Amino acid sequence: MELQEKLKILADSAKYDASCSSSGSNRKTKDGLGNVALSGICHSFSSDGRCISLLKILMTNCCIFDCKYCLNRKSNTIKRAIFTPEEVCEITLNFYRRNYIEGLFLSSGIIKSPDYTMELLIKTITLLRKKYHFGGYIHAKAIPGASEKLLRDLGLLVDRLSANVELPTSNGLKLLAPNKNESNVTKIMRYVKTNQNRKYVPAGQSTQMIIGATKESDLEIMEKSENLYKSFLLKRVFYSAYIPVNKDNLLPTLESPPLKRENRLYQADWLLRFYNFKVSDLLDEKNPNFNILVDPKADWALRHLNEFPKEVNRCSYYDLLKIPGIGVKSAKRILSSRKIFTLSFEDLKKMGVVLKRAKYFITCNGKYFMSANLFHKEFIEKNLVLEETTPSIKTHEQLRLFNE
Amino acid sequence: MNNDCYLYEDTFLSLLNLIVYLIKNNIKPGNIKNCQYIPNLLDHVISLKIEEDGNIINQIIQYMGPYTFRSIYYVFLSTEENKELILYYLILNGMKYKEKVLYHRNLKCVEKTIKIAKAVLHEAHKYKGFTRFKELENHILYAEIEPTNDILILISHHFQKRLRTEYWIIKDVKRGILSLYDKKKYYLILEENFTLETTLLSQKENEIENLWKTFYKTIGIKERKNERCRRNFMPKKYWKYMLEVESEL
Repeated sequence: MELQEKLKILADSAKYDASCSSSGSNRKTKDGLGNVALSGICHSFSSDGRCISLLKILMTNCCIFDCKYCLNRKSNTIKRAIFTPEEVCEITLNFYRRNYIEGLFLSSGIIKSPDYTMELLIKTITLLRKKYHFGGYIHAKAIPGASEKLLRDLGLLVDRLSANVELPTSNGLKLLAPNKNESNVTKIMRYVKTNQNRKYVPAGQSTQMIIGATKESDLEIMEKSENLYKSFLLKRVFYSAYIPVNKDNLLPTLESPPLKRENRLYQADWLLRFYNFKVSDLLDEKNPNFNILVDPKADWALRHLNEFPKEVNRCSYYDLLKIPGIGVKSAKRILSSRKIFTLSFEDLKKMGVVLKRAKYFITCNGKYFMSANLFHKEFIEKNLVLEETTPSIKTHEQLRLFNE
Repeated sequence: MNNDCYLYEDTFLSLLNLIVYLIKNNIKPGNIKNCQYIPNLLDHVISLKIEEDGNIINQIIQYMGPYTFRSIYYVFLSTEENKELILYYLILNGMKYKEKVLYHRNLKCVEKTIKIAKAVLHEAHKYKGFTRFKELENHILYAEIEPTNDILILISHHFQKRLRTEYWIIKDVKRGILSLYDKKKYYLILEENFTLETTLLSQKENEIENLWKTFYKTIGIKERKNERCRRNFMPKKYWKYMLEVESEL
């Protein structure tokens, strides 16, 4: 088989993994080709708008498992291919030299046994690091069920390791991935967490969950994430809207992948990691799913309107973070600037505050942006919803104008 | 109206020296321009003979902090029309507020400096990812770029560390400047002082480019197609030299 065709098959099989980031590693390199950038660098953007920073491929798409949702499951009749370690190195180095990529993301179907597969990954990456002195970013998948020794060897070669939990609950996993075992994934995460340091998996670990293949609520998903962040100090949890690639009566039939839901989960994920929110602030048994119309932070603010409006010239950093339209960066800018002068609405705009969202929830030097009798839930909610859906409304109006 | 237009020698150092000289002597410029500036009827052009003092950079860093200094440099690399005057007012305020000057976002010069510096850095960051090298017959890697701001020096610094084991050349097509790296250092050189030994591509080039195009096409998920999002992150101004999308232009 030609290299071109192999690459096509093995990139196609790898593309459903959402992780693309190349950030967070501060590994130093002295000689050889390549280094890492702490901030990460995107090298291109694919037709779906996702960033391409790593050469994302599988070692092989042969797999002894039969996970219902997966393109590469044993029972599918698709073209199978396997890279040799030299081939992976050749493509990686040639792409890297021309600045197409930031590094390699190497995953694999499970061939023969978890240990055998993991050894194959280790062999390939060892070749890349030791023979070709490649210093660029490498993200590898740890194969659940492989031995601890192999996990140690692989972690010493790469920047990031990840093992996918795949589904938010173990029941879901049992249903759709009968060969997978939650405790095997947990074992990997615990091992990486305990051993992580400057030399071992310097960019930390991440994981991924498929959204919408099973019936879990957003609450269950977010509780799982919160738990993962807390127990294993994960750098990222990725959410991947389920895309039906297989037909199976255990799988839902969807017209389109639940992208809006995925978007809400990412927004909430950010709130957990950078905005000091807890899942219990955002969702509960009565409201187990996110509001599709407004984002989780605005939704929270609308339900806690008694805490607003907040005075931006005085309230604490954590209170600033709770205001819709104010992010981590603008909150920090507000803190540093308000020591020097009193902030006006105009100043906030210059600092990157999204005023059209924030204006309902703040006062500037005692002044509310609008007339005070408009400070009630229905009015604000209506405007926030309108604002989020505005682009589509605009095009609609434009079309009508043309028709007239 | 103040029509006094002061000229500098088109180098960063020369501009800094001029600005500091003006401030020290209490001269308020109507405008500051580089020596290629074509004056209009009202301009009263003044060219001062100022001794260039290299130490001025250290003085600014000591006085206003390294972060402020870097912002000043990024503004200098920008194509903003009034960048010199913005920097004059920034440094003038820097004398007063020292390393805290950039916190004074209510000052117009501070607001502009932050905005412009951010845009320059942003563009440099984009080019760290979007620059595409081709391998020439003699194994030298060659890339062409067309940035809005003068970011060649910023990305040269990046590629010096990244592609340290390669010989490479990056050409800023619009400005006619090349950056050459000889596995030790990079040098910036004017186009007219340099000719490429060969423009033929290496034998492997076509194959590798096809592999990359295949990968690019394959990795997009068609059920998630999102053109707006792609353009948002990768505006068309970058596409000209990116082999994976140039055919879509």
